[in-house]
Amino acid sequence: MKKTITLVIIASLLLSMGMAQRPRPKVDIRSYPESRYQLFVRNKPYVIRGVCYNPVPIGKNHEYDLFSDPNKPWLIDGKLMQEMGINTVRFYQVGENPEQVRQVIRDLYELYGIRSILGHWLGFWDFPCPRYGDADYRNKLKQEVLEMVRLYKDEEGLLMWVLGNENNYAFSGRVNPWSTDEIETEPCPVKQREMRAQLYYSLVNEIAQEIKQIDSDHPVALGNGELHGLETADALCPDIDIVGVVIYRGKTFGNLFNAMKMTFDRPILFIEFGADAYDAYRKREDQNMQAYFLEHQWRQIQRNLYAHKDGAGNCLGGTMFEWTDEWWKHQPYAPDSWREHLTGAGWSNPSYYFDAPAENNLNMNEEWFGIVAISPELEDGINKRAPRKAYYVLRQLWQEPESNELIIKGLQWH
Amino acid sequence: MCKKTLAIAACLLFLAPLGFVQEAVPQELETFGVYIEKGSRENHYIPAGWMGDYGDIRMDDQSSDNPYVGRTCIKFDYSARKSQGQGWSGVYWQYPANNWGNLRGGYDLTGMTKLSFWARGAKGGEIIEKFGVGGIGIGRDVPYPDSSVTEAGPIELTDAWKQYTINLAGKDLTYLNGGFFWTLSADSNPEGATFYLDNIQFVADPKMKPEVKKGESMPFYVYSERGAISNHFIPSGWMPASASQDLKFDAGWKTNPYLGDTCIRITYNDNSGTRWAGIYWQHPANNWGTQDTGFDLSAAKKLTFWARGEKGKERIEEFKAGGIMGRFSDSDSASIGPVILNKEWTQYTIDLSGKDMSYIIGGFAWATNIDVNPGPDGIVFYLDEIRYE
Repeated sequence: MKKTITLVIIASLLLSMGMAQRPRPKVDIRSYPESRYQLFVRNKPYVIRGVCYNPVPIGKNHEYDLFSDPNKPWLIDGKLMQEMGINTVRFYQVGENPEQVRQVIRDLYELYGIRSILGHWLGFWDFPCPRYGDADYRNKLKQEVLEMVRLYKDEEGLLMWVLGNENNYAFSGRVNPWSTDEIETEPCPVKQREMRAQLYYSLVNEIAQEIKQIDSDHPVALGNGELHGLETADALCPDIDIVGVVIYRGKTFGNLFNAMKMTFDRPILFIEFGADAYDAYRKREDQNMQAYFLEHQWRQIQRNLYAHKDGAGNCLGGTMFEWTDEWWKHQPYAPDSWREHLTGAGWSNPSYYFDAPAENNLNMNEEWFGIVAISPELEDGINKRAPRKAYYVLRQLWQEPESNELIIKGLQWH
Repeated sequence: MCKKTLAIAACLLFLAPLGFVQEAVPQELETFGVYIEKGSRENHYIPAGWMGDYGDIRMDDQSSDNPYVGRTCIKFDYSARKSQGQGWSGVYWQYPANNWGNLRGGYDLTGMTKLSFWARGAKGGEIIEKFGVGGIGIGRDVPYPDSSVTEAGPIELTDAWKQYTINLAGKDLTYLNGGFFWTLSADSNPEGATFYLDNIQFVADPKMKPEVKKGESMPFYVYSERGAISNHFIPSGWMPASASQDLKFDAGWKTNPYLGDTCIRITYNDNSGTRWAGIYWQHPANNWGTQDTGFDLSAAKKLTFWARGEKGKERIEEFKAGGIMGRFSDSDSASIGPVILNKEWTQYTIDLSGKDMSYIIGGFAWATNIDVNPGPDGIVFYLDEIRYE
């Protein structure tokens, strides 16, 4: 009895000091010495083994709304994902009907244990351009995001928010160029870039700050292309919890983990990375090539998780690009071509060196990034799914994370 | 002859047929010849793979001009005339001749641990960019690429014979069609060069240990002076493929260099219509991450260089250190830009703090485009004293 009284007194004291009042957020990040971080969900460590989920059917383009699809492809995909070991999907932006969106989040979580990352483009693809220097435009974007937060913050399957996706590439003034009168009068291009960065990152932080007033249970990530501009974000984005990076560097992420500690010390989430499954040089599908790169990339992610003591310890996981192929991407303005699986490559990246000798070094095949291929044949109303080798290799890797033996071996390189 | 000596001699006679005597004397190291003597049966490779400005090379493979050993050595005359417009030349010893990886030939030289050869210049001071072993077909779509490449250089020759060795311990020598090669450049030898080689052979020396890569000491030059032996990277990575139509490059410009006798003069005009251009300084030439040859520049805190524009206000979008991505990727990259050049020499610095410069193939690069440099005449700009510190 004496012991019980003592405990009650201690508990009362703690409560009166305010120390026990606030429960931990449902999803939180814990910091450790040397800039090491770990993600927890409901007090349990959580490694994000995720995939970008935008399963555009054959014949459709980016306007396709998964959430209103009566065939419910997420039910088929969720099962396949669960069997592979995927625990998270990333949505770039949610649909317009909240009930439908909630249903998808709930189905994925309740049926397959898969959590959802919800994102917002922050107007990057707005026509004619995003106007981050315009107060009304900034407020419009902010209200859109906050509305999303209000609608879905209580979903148990929600993992976090991601603001933007590579919007920093516009700082140079060459991609989706936007400007202000003040920027236009500045003669120095370096200062111009810095001014754009300041305007954009200050908006991101304003939004993050307001998200936290509505939702204290989920972290907010910045969606950045590579590490460009993060020195500026470091000064302007104290309310950002995670840096989500889009990285295409072939089989290695290089010095990224330590570089992040030097520039913007936050946990890293790879919100996009991967490899395509088409050899642009030999002009044929090559599932080994894709699996080879994804295996190396995932091994680097694993080595830099908190749990791996030899790595940088600041990585939370990743959402690879992507679940299924998208047949509309190579010729987005030619609807007739959306029913063909085009083999054209839209850009060059020598880090994916197996097919880098392709004509004009164009080796990145946007329509072939899926770890699951799709075919015109329908099954339950959706394009039939055929997991590629990368699907099985990653499944094995996740089942045996401690094994150092490469699964894909002896790939011939020319 | 004393009794004891007779007894030993008798023993030797008895043992010799059984093969015991060989163990009593120092064992000769196993060798495999590339070039030993004109017409020797020990020559296993043929100096048939002439590269670059092949019209600038003359070869005499039975020169009797003071061979190191035997009756003949190989003499090369290099004219530096740039007959094929390349600015460099080289010769591969191949087997079979002219095999660039399309035929199955070559040798499995597993067990060899070094390549040894003797060399001298006619005057001394001739600069050979690279001596090396292997490398044919690596990074190219050929059915029989060499299993590895190993290089040494640049090397400044003396006018007396000197032995050089290339450490092959730990290298994959299972297939070598390119037994030996050398390359040199007109920049390093503007007046041409005459040099001699002799007794080129692989040796199975058990004392050789795999080379441990050492960090380079600072300063480490990308460019100091035309043809300087301290230049560690080659401005070979012209971008994009059409850049040869758009760029003029002179590494020996003598008017108003920042330091020394020469600087680099670059002219850019959008003749090809591709609208952008740039150059990577690589190690070795044309290495886009296909060869495992990065320098360890971990000691570098910054990269500095001097630049000026012909008129001032020329805009370079990016100056960069590192960043080559391929099978062997640079460990990091750092850049500055856009930079608006002054008419006067100005020093620029790329800060490398926090960067991992432990493996660098692309020592320096710049890129720009015509959209930010409008005008029919394009731009002219100059670079000098590019170095890691």
